[in-house]
Amino acid sequence: MIGYFQTIYRGFADTFKGLAVTWRHLFKPSITVNYPLAKLKPYERFRGALLFDAVTCIGCNLCVKACPSDCIALENQKTPEGKKIAKVNWYSIDFGKCNFCRLCEEACPTKPKSVWHSLDYETVFYARNQMSRIWQQGNPWMGTYYDAGEKIYKTPEGDQIPIEEIPSRR
Amino acid sequence: MAELATPPPPPTPAPAPAPKPPANVMPPEKAVPAGIRKVFAKHTEGTLLPNRLWPTDVWPNPWKSASYRRGALVLSALILAGTGAAFFLREIGVPLAALRETLHRFAEANLPQVPSWAAEAVWILAKALVVLHIILFNGLFLVWWERKISAHMQSRLGPIFTGKWHGVLQTAADGIKLLLKEDAAPKEKDSWLHSLAPALVFVPVLICFTPVPWGRDLEAANLDAGVLYIFAWAGLSVLGIVLAGWASANKYSLLGGLRSAAQFVSYELPRSFSLVPLIAIAGSLSLTKIAGYQEGYWFGFFPKWFLFYPVVGQISFVIFLIASVAETNRTPFDIAEAESELVGGFHTEYSGMKFSIFFLTEYAYVLLASCLLTTFFMGGGAAPLPFLSVLPSWFWFLGKTLFFMFCFLWFRWTFPRFKIDRLLDFNWKFLLPWSFVNIVLALPYIYLWKL
Repeated sequence: MIGYFQTIYRGFADTFKGLAVTWRHLFKPSITVNYPLAKLKPYERFRGALLFDAVTCIGCNLCVKACPSDCIALENQKTPEGKKIAKVNWYSIDFGKCNFCRLCEEACPTKPKSVWHSLDYETVFYARNQMSRIWQQGNPWMGTYYDAGEKIYKTPEGDQIPIEEIPSRR
Repeated sequence: MAELATPPPPPTPAPAPAPKPPANVMPPEKAVPAGIRKVFAKHTEGTLLPNRLWPTDVWPNPWKSASYRRGALVLSALILAGTGAAFFLREIGVPLAALRETLHRFAEANLPQVPSWAAEAVWILAKALVVLHIILFNGLFLVWWERKISAHMQSRLGPIFTGKWHGVLQTAADGIKLLLKEDAAPKEKDSWLHSLAPALVFVPVLICFTPVPWGRDLEAANLDAGVLYIFAWAGLSVLGIVLAGWASANKYSLLGGLRSAAQFVSYELPRSFSLVPLIAIAGSLSLTKIAGYQEGYWFGFFPKWFLFYPVVGQISFVIFLIASVAETNRTPFDIAEAESELVGGFHTEYSGMKFSIFFLTEYAYVLLASCLLTTFFMGGGAAPLPFLSVLPSWFWFLGKTLFFMFCFLWFRWTFPRFKIDRLLDFNWKFLLPWSFVNIVLALPYIYLWKL
């Protein structure tokens, strides 16, 4: 008999405990933000989309070798005699393969890093060929992509906020 | 075979047209092309704060956040504005009665050719329309409110864009969407019953609102058997739900319909029996009389609400509240439409307007249950303290109803769902016996106070 009333008491007590939890959360500020209008800046070590600076790159191939998913490719510039020099002719990252591991950035010997993770978490692609970003001398850090249909290079599309303007470039 | 040894060339893009000689150091703003910067400037301006706190950092003291303070201010202002409006509007039962008199006198004086009951018929039609629109607007408001409450209980924001201010028009937009949607239904459906079911669900709830006393002299009709009337009609809704399950030709719908039949029929018993003490003490089945009986104060300040009758009132209240949540088919008793088990339950195969009628009915039942809780246990339109009767009765009725509606939302977003066997066990082995015990406990009240 006592056990019966204890069960009832416990049931009601736990019920009110649960209600108290939701009541407390009702008056806490929400942890989400109003996304397209307000955006959170990730922490400094966040690994967003990769950026590349063709000016500082010495074309040493270390990032290509460090990449575990084989998404980086590059080609050095050559002198008229056909000798490679420490400048990059083109550099490409396939974001379809990239797993955002930062190994390429760690391998990069230049100072500041020539390839590094931005804080941009809004990298979107409307077509498969947009996933492959290509950089040449004079391109912005965001890079370009090759439109196979129109056979021209284009700047990436998409609702991208330039979070990489605050780069965590080391 | 020599070619195989050499690594295949990388997917070489065609070399670009010779770019202009690069500057020594690229300025950081060149990271993003100017075109993209221009297009999205309106999105980025002032929103991406470099030193912005993460929302969880605000939790220890939310009052530091300016938006939190502003929200609290707006909420208080809304409540104050409502109270002020109620204070200046006074009792709206009085001008409405005057309006009815005017209508009758106008009909007698100017329209001698129409029969004498025509004016009253027009008046009844107007009342029915008002009640219908209360249900419709309740749907609009309550769906939005539920979405906001659930969002904030889960630390989200909920609808925020539609209607400028916290997504107030979100439900209206959804309603328009549902209205324009294709009515997709299974080919094997029993098309007559499939169409009949939503109507059969909705009409009883509309009728149920007839005897609800919204305030002093504000009920659509003062029925002598109001309690019986409401429970009788509300019991018919289950027929529509079972029909919906049957007519959909879908096993999930059928299971949902049968489950809801078991649930409705079971929970109607404790729901009615928990009211027996109240009916015996108040000595009437009329909702207006029951509400009127609870007006007044013990010791001059303590409201004579049935909720505050020692032991009996509280047991009645708890049983009635739990059974009401079950009758409205909401979590933790929503096994009839258990999303994780039965897809959508009885309304799996409904879409567009038919589905929205089921939806509307659910919220109308929430409103009805809140109104009944207010009437039976919180004294209807009676003010909680004597000096507060400067505010009209409809304001207090509305306030208490909103409080109970909030409780319904609160329960829904707190508790997990019962299993079907636990649900029935809980009813037959706990609620029903205790509602009988409660009747016995009420005997002293009835004999000592009434005789």
